[in-house]
Amino acid sequence: MKRSSLFVLQLLFTLLVCAFMLVPVLMSLLAGLTRNFFVGVSSGLTFDWIVQVWQAYSPTVWLSLQLAVACAVCVCVIGVPAAYALVRMNNCFSRAFEELMVLPVAMPGLASALALLLTYGQFGTFRSSWLFILVGHVLFTLPFLVRPVMAVMQRQHLPVLEEAAASLGAGPIKRFFSVVVPNCRAGILAGVLMVVTLSLGEFNLTWMLHTPMTKTLPVGLADSYASARLEIASAYTLIFLLMIVPLLIALQAISARLSRGERR
Amino acid sequence: MRALSKTLAALALCGMASLAQAADTAICYNCPPDWADWGTQLKAIAASTGVQVPLDNKNSGQSLAQLVAEKAAPVADVVYYGVTFGLQAQKAGVVDGYKPKAWDQIPAGLKDPAGHWFAIHSGTLGIMVNVDALGGLPVPQSWADLLKPQYKGMVGYLDPSSAFVGYVSAVAINRAMGGDLDNFAPAIDYFQKLAKNAPIVPKQTAYARVLSGELPILVDYDFNAYRARYKDNANVAFVIPQEGSISVPYVMSLVANAPHRANGKKVLDFVLSDEGQALWAKAYLRPVRPMKMPAEVAAQFLPDSDYARAGVVDYEKMAAVQEAFAARYLNEVK
Amino acid sequence: MATSAKHASWALAPAFAVLLAFWLLPLAHLIVLGTESRDSHGSGYWQVLSSAQYLGSLGQTLVLAVVVTLVALLIGGISGVFLARQHFFGRSALVALLTFPLAFPGVVVGFLVILLAGRQGLLASLGLQLAGERWIFAYSLAGLFVGYLYFSIPRVILTVMAACESLDRSLEEAAHSLGAGHWRVVCDVIVPGLAPALASCGAICFATSMGAFGTAFTLGTRLNVTPVAIYNVFTNYANFAVAAALSVVLGAVTWAVLLLTRRLVKNSGTVL
Repeated sequence: MKRSSLFVLQLLFTLLVCAFMLVPVLMSLLAGLTRNFFVGVSSGLTFDWIVQVWQAYSPTVWLSLQLAVACAVCVCVIGVPAAYALVRMNNCFSRAFEELMVLPVAMPGLASALALLLTYGQFGTFRSSWLFILVGHVLFTLPFLVRPVMAVMQRQHLPVLEEAAASLGAGPIKRFFSVVVPNCRAGILAGVLMVVTLSLGEFNLTWMLHTPMTKTLPVGLADSYASARLEIASAYTLIFLLMIVPLLIALQAISARLSRGERR
Repeated sequence: MRALSKTLAALALCGMASLAQAADTAICYNCPPDWADWGTQLKAIAASTGVQVPLDNKNSGQSLAQLVAEKAAPVADVVYYGVTFGLQAQKAGVVDGYKPKAWDQIPAGLKDPAGHWFAIHSGTLGIMVNVDALGGLPVPQSWADLLKPQYKGMVGYLDPSSAFVGYVSAVAINRAMGGDLDNFAPAIDYFQKLAKNAPIVPKQTAYARVLSGELPILVDYDFNAYRARYKDNANVAFVIPQEGSISVPYVMSLVANAPHRANGKKVLDFVLSDEGQALWAKAYLRPVRPMKMPAEVAAQFLPDSDYARAGVVDYEKMAAVQEAFAARYLNEVK
Repeated sequence: MATSAKHASWALAPAFAVLLAFWLLPLAHLIVLGTESRDSHGSGYWQVLSSAQYLGSLGQTLVLAVVVTLVALLIGGISGVFLARQHFFGRSALVALLTFPLAFPGVVVGFLVILLAGRQGLLASLGLQLAGERWIFAYSLAGLFVGYLYFSIPRVILTVMAACESLDRSLEEAAHSLGAGHWRVVCDVIVPGLAPALASCGAICFATSMGAFGTAFTLGTRLNVTPVAIYNVFTNYANFAVAAALSVVLGAVTWAVLLLTRRLVKNSGTVL
């Protein structure tokens, strides 16, 4: 009896948390489809706002997707080896590096962006291209890949597997790609999920790093919330949702399947 | 085969067209689509001069800060901001002197003699009210009205320490309450009293929030209120407070070492041309060049007797004391 | 012979190079910038460290970040464990929906808080119906707190769910079979099992809350958290010296707290 009442309490609590997270989003989506938010739903539903937003802001959607994919690739290329090294080294230098890695998250994006601008702003072509924004995104999302991958590597008894591979004659690079990486797929994918999510929504750094020609979706979204009608901003949020939720569900499902496979 | 060569030709044309487009760009800092109807202005610029200018949503302070940060390799060609920021940009050395066509028609106090900045239009500060969202309360008619407890939680003003509109509000209220640019005590006193009325103090334009009713009363410009009333068809009223207010010019500059200098100049020429100035008038701003406003637009403004309550201030002095006032505001108004 | 630590450290080179070039070098630039002075006010650092206003804002930001982290860990922990253990249709869709607020820029979170708790928000209408007055807290510290929770809870839920996968259920069963009550099992088996994940996630939540800008910017609360103070100074005639100094001090404070937490956790014996 006591067990099930606890269960009910937990369920209610979790439902409350879900409601807290989702209700404002649903309200925002509804606003994006309403003719006039001040009057309310009674003023009628319409797709006009969505059409208007797409006509004005579709380049931002493509640029954000491009940045997210490029960011995920770059972060994997430098982050997975880094995670491996940090797990193997496990000394004070590696711990200092871990703290260093988190700092771009701790410092306001405004400051990091200012620093980047002052140091590299004079390279005009680089500064005006989307690569400049990519640099900011990679700095910000790196710890979000490295940490989960480190956690997975620590659990996987890698030294044993590596020794076995080494005894069969595999060199260090071959061992890395054929033993280490496949065993950490779930962790890497979980990290990629986080990186893509964060890159799609990154605002603080991008706000200063972007130019009017390289505007990303979050910057456009913030702009529309500031200066356009609430219905337009909400319609923009709706488009954002339609873009990101299928991506997240797919990545979630793949990573769940992989981690189930790993435990067998 | 014919289909393939047609497709290739079409692609080649598109490629050339996009190259041509890429060539005729100018970057403007702070040209938001809805503020002062820059959306229409930029479309007219593209149609008339062929220069494409993407929209940009910074505010005056951010634009200046970005210009200074990018001094080594500027990204912007032209910039639009409040007059005090134009003065500061000149001091910081990030803008060049340029005298567009129709230079002589700009009144003397509204331009830098060497052309580092010049006014393109001006607006008057007042109280913008979403009448429906008041819930039956009377529309406030003076600065003192805003302090009344019946408007608790309904009044908003932009942050004087970070937004130009906010600073203009402070200067206008200060002047209306008997102070001047050397003595901001009346303004500080007013804001401290207003703080008891639970005001909302956004850091950026809150136009959308007034329309949605979230912020029923906002200290803002006349052109935003008229736009809400006549373009967006909201029941918005604009009031020039009984104690008085001020008008301020918004200015533009050519950025020093601009990447597309020639295109930037074309943009600046256009905003001061007959066509450009007429577009500002249609957007409810007062064009800087003396010209007759179209009758139907003039009819939508408040009567001149109301506008007589709005004066002008010494903009150079206003710029010089801005920083000190911002610090004082942050310290004393909690 | 498996890769020795020395050989493995070569794998760190690309990440280190990127951080060096694009983070440490600009950071050095920023640190130096903070020493400049403008209009004879003293260096950026002096202005920051001698001003009650900036120090107060740092203190407020620190307290807010700590409280948000602890509450998020609690709420996310309970919901995360529950969700990890239940399997029902649509669970992965629900989890994806709970995760996607992570992608929201802070500005949007601010507007969502206004939708929830602003003058025309859900709670305002609820309050009008139930109590005859609007319940508005979007523009106060409570609104800011709710906004920060909004983007911290999904992070904790995700981490806890992943960590639960690797919890050893047999330990819990053993504890139950020895007669331990539910709360004993939670405190002595589950929480220590989740502790590394909670600590690492808490660190990230703390760092994010310290550096968060968009939410406070939108809500316009009169409490100026430090990132907003940095923005104020930045846009007030491009006062880079003070902006840089404030940023460096904020970063240093965050780093110090993270180091301290790591040391405390290590001393308590948990393996991180």
